[in-house]
Amino acid sequence: MLRVIHVTKKFGELKAVNDLSFEVKAGQIFGIAGPNGAGKSTLYNLITGFYSFNGTIEFDGRNISGMPPFRIAKAGIARTFQIPQTFPSLTVQKAISVGSRFGAAGGLDSAHVNDVIQFVDLDNERTQNTGLLNLLGKKKLMIGAALATKPKILMLDEPMAGCNATEIRSLMDLIAKINHDLKITIIIIEHFMKVLTELTEELLIIESGAKICQGDPLEVVNDPQVIACYLGEPDAKRK
Amino acid sequence: MRLKHMAIIIGVAYGIMALLPLLVGDIRFLMNILIMCLIWAVVASCWDVMMGFAGIFSFGQVAFFVMGAYCSGILAIEHHVTPVLSILIAGLFTAGMGVLVGLPCLRLAGPYVALVTFGVHMALQPTLRGEIGIALGSGGSVGLLTIPPINIFGYSFSSANIVPTFYLTLLVSLACALVIMFVIKSYWGVAFLALKDSQDFAMSLGISAFKYKLMVFALTSFLTGIIGAYYGHFYGVLSFRMLDLDLFSILMVMMLVGGLGHYPGSIIGAFLVVAGSELMAPLGAYRAVTMGALVVILVLALPNGVMGFFLKRASDRAPSG
Ligand SMILES: Nc1ncnc2c1ncn2[C@@H]1O[C@H](COP(=O)(O)OP(=O)(O)O)[C@@H](O)[C@H]1O
Ligand SMILES: [Mg+2]
Repeated sequence: MLRVIHVTKKFGELKAVNDLSFEVKAGQIFGIAGPNGAGKSTLYNLITGFYSFNGTIEFDGRNISGMPPFRIAKAGIARTFQIPQTFPSLTVQKAISVGSRFGAAGGLDSAHVNDVIQFVDLDNERTQNTGLLNLLGKKKLMIGAALATKPKILMLDEPMAGCNATEIRSLMDLIAKINHDLKITIIIIEHFMKVLTELTEELLIIESGAKICQGDPLEVVNDPQVIACYLGEPDAKRK
Repeated sequence: MRLKHMAIIIGVAYGIMALLPLLVGDIRFLMNILIMCLIWAVVASCWDVMMGFAGIFSFGQVAFFVMGAYCSGILAIEHHVTPVLSILIAGLFTAGMGVLVGLPCLRLAGPYVALVTFGVHMALQPTLRGEIGIALGSGGSVGLLTIPPINIFGYSFSSANIVPTFYLTLLVSLACALVIMFVIKSYWGVAFLALKDSQDFAMSLGISAFKYKLMVFALTSFLTGIIGAYYGHFYGVLSFRMLDLDLFSILMVMMLVGGLGHYPGSIIGAFLVVAGSELMAPLGAYRAVTMGALVVILVLALPNGVMGFFLKRASDRAPSG
């Protein structure tokens, strides 16, 4: 469904993504992990058209390299951001309908917007200004707006960051439900290994922009190279 | 603000305006002031759409106003185009200029947009005075002195027929206000707000920053150009002196008094500032200083302008907040 082929991104001398190749299959929950600064968020920015790069990215057999972000969104790739983004000028309902009006094939679908609001459990905050939501609310808003674009693939960038155990549980349930009930392929960047091993079917580890290893999550986390690359990251090893 | 509330405020403001000639219809100088209120309301509103809604710090609004005025004036004087048609052409010309100015601004961060657009403002005066301007028919340092009034079916809307001219201005100004209202309340307006709040998030949801930002430039410069052209035909004379900072700063004051991003506050702001400025006329040389001091006090006391103040009062009263 999504193929990243020999993709490299340089910021000046720094190779943030270095000759990276992998493939995400339809229906999967695909995990990406790696130390801070490994290039995970940059990879998302390349896939969703925010930066130019060398190499090729194919989505549904179609080359999407060089396409602007809004076109990639309309093509069916939705994403969230590591630093929660909202529209403080808009209510929850309006913000989610932005995804529907601009990102979904066929334009505004009010019934679908309503379904999405129920699905991400923001019904009570519907008329609330998005800037006033709490952290979990903002994360659900980003996911809701992304879902409103009727995506084929949803890319989550550290959705659990800053959340407590209960919130992590509710987000994990939500993500599983999106994949299972809505049949949307998911890519998730996460630091919590437990989340990744429980949720994902395939796990990719990158460091300094390059692939360290890829495969079954339980095997990958026991890979000596992966352990070595995480030794400098006591924060991630904690669980 | 909801569409209904916006429509009510616009309706009341223009309704009161429409009644004023019944009181002062025979005093030409007061009628002139009312007409200027209606014209500045449009320019201040366009500026508010650009800055308050789209969050683009463009300082080119007066430049577009003057471009529209000169374009229509030159078409009418030099090429004998009938004024209504020349106003429309001027609007399209200014919209094109707006897009041209907007293009380089798309890639720039806020402060640089301010520099580029103010650069356009600064460059316009020497252009109009210099050889290019004279070749185009700008009248050089003299300006345009013989712009014909608008003539519809043989009826001439000039200051000789001040009351009918006032009502024509009211219609044009109201039409612009309604266009702005519907744009703001449509998904165009939502796209402007989304891009202002978080451009990356907006783009990731399918909004083309390129398209909607250019649309803001095209729309605001179109309406500003139209009303500038209208102004030229009403006044009959034009000078590059309009590009001096007086008009620029008073328009900004109108927008701030109304409340940035609180449309239709800018309409109320325009009415209040013109009225206030005229009331302070007896102060003579002290008027500008007094005006400046009042603005500072007002901005400190009401950071969101009169409209923000009333909205807050209204939401404080509402039980749900
Ligand atoms: N816009 C940018 N300009 C320059 N360097 C950047 C930019 N974005 C990211 N980087 C650098 O690229 C590297 C990878 O960053 P990032 O993708 O955010 O890492 P991760 O998400 O894996 O923590 C970091 O060294 C970061 O400083
Ligand atoms: Mg990151």
